[in-house]
Amino acid sequence: MNSLDPRVKRLPSTGIVGQVEPKAPLDQFGTFEVFVQPREGKPFQHEGIVHAPNLEMAFVLAKEAFTRRFTCTSIYVADTRDVYVSPMTEGNENVFQLIPETPSQPGEKESYEIYQLPKRGKQHIHIGAVMASNPTEAMSEAKVKFQSDKVVYNIWAIPTTSIRFTNPEEKELWLTLPEKKFRDASDYKGGDKLKEFLERSTTTLRS
Amino acid sequence: MNENALKELLYKIADDQLILGHRNSEWTGMGPLLEEDIAFSSMAQDKIGQSYAIYTILHSLGEQDPDTIAFTRNANQFHNSILTELPNGEYDFSLIRHFLYDTAEIIRFEMLTHSSYTPLAELAIKIRAELKYHTLHANTWIKQLGSATEESIERLQKSLDYAMPYALGIFEESPYEAEIIKSGIFAGEKALYETWKQNIEAVIDQTRLHLADWSLLKPVLGGRLGNHSDHLQPLLDEMSEVFRIDPSAEW
Repeated sequence: MNSLDPRVKRLPSTGIVGQVEPKAPLDQFGTFEVFVQPREGKPFQHEGIVHAPNLEMAFVLAKEAFTRRFTCTSIYVADTRDVYVSPMTEGNENVFQLIPETPSQPGEKESYEIYQLPKRGKQHIHIGAVMASNPTEAMSEAKVKFQSDKVVYNIWAIPTTSIRFTNPEEKELWLTLPEKKFRDASDYKGGDKLKEFLERSTTTLRS
Repeated sequence: MNENALKELLYKIADDQLILGHRNSEWTGMGPLLEEDIAFSSMAQDKIGQSYAIYTILHSLGEQDPDTIAFTRNANQFHNSILTELPNGEYDFSLIRHFLYDTAEIIRFEMLTHSSYTPLAELAIKIRAELKYHTLHANTWIKQLGSATEESIERLQKSLDYAMPYALGIFEESPYEAEIIKSGIFAGEKALYETWKQNIEAVIDQTRLHLADWSLLKPVLGGRLGNHSDHLQPLLDEMSEVFRIDPSAEW
């Protein structure tokens, strides 16, 4: 269908009667997971995703998409396809109980960053790293290392080498952020201005 | 120190930041993807913030307050390079302009961190990190699209060829150039241009784009002296619309 409206162009084609075709993939960028360290010494936490053509572009776009307003010390990104997830639990069920302890696997081990979900509906928080030869083993190693009485609901594991970290010389990217109050809606005191305006108009009407 | 020379330098830097900041902000809500829309808008905001900081320095030197400077001058009183006032057109052009301009901008401010005029040196040190993100953003996009598809390469190349003579206008020398250099305020447009050329080449070399022979390019000059294209006045009219209706308006 020819149209100047890009939404019309994105409509699926109607196909040919009698023919069966595989579903066309979406004409969109893949997703990348964004993690932010709010303050020095605090763990990184998952903030959301960005769409990007590759890891480096994801880093560049994540910086403004997630740290435009709130101060932070560092961010990093990983391709969604590099994030391995455990089952999800709820209530009093600790997810570590659902992760089997697998015997150490053969092969070269690499580092995996481990994240836990301490509350349903909240963000995943970085808790440390383990060495493992595959994601299943990484989950098992995480259980050995991080399981406690505290109930957690989900575990993520990401190979450390697949992460685009903030380089030490990029740490200064956020230095002037605390001064950019104009990015906070509250700084415009819209409510006060509206109140003043209404008071002014009411006075004018009465007089 | 010749105060007129200093003011001329401050005006041209601030005007570049304000005009390009405004142009780039025209993409807000219309960027090619949400994440890029946010990033480009943030950087436009940074540029306008930087122009405000320099207009504030000018105010301390006896010029009018920043809002009056920004919103009440006519086109022929602006010292921005013509590159910054050109209409946006397609996103490929905006990206190329962002790359060509911001590469010069970060070098200029890097040079200004050594300025003998302390307020400017302090500002340059302060905003260094902002500019670093701007060039990281520009370089990453140019490397990405400059090696992606036939269409992206062709479009960037066309914009690069179109923008380059205007980009050379960034380095149009001031009537006070010799004094500015001698007083240690700024090492001058020639020095800036030489470093800029190397940095542009270093990024373009990593793509499938190519640069024209530098010696064959004819710079588009005049902006620094107030001789602008027809595109500046409509931009100023739009930018100052609210201010002209109600100069005391706050928002």
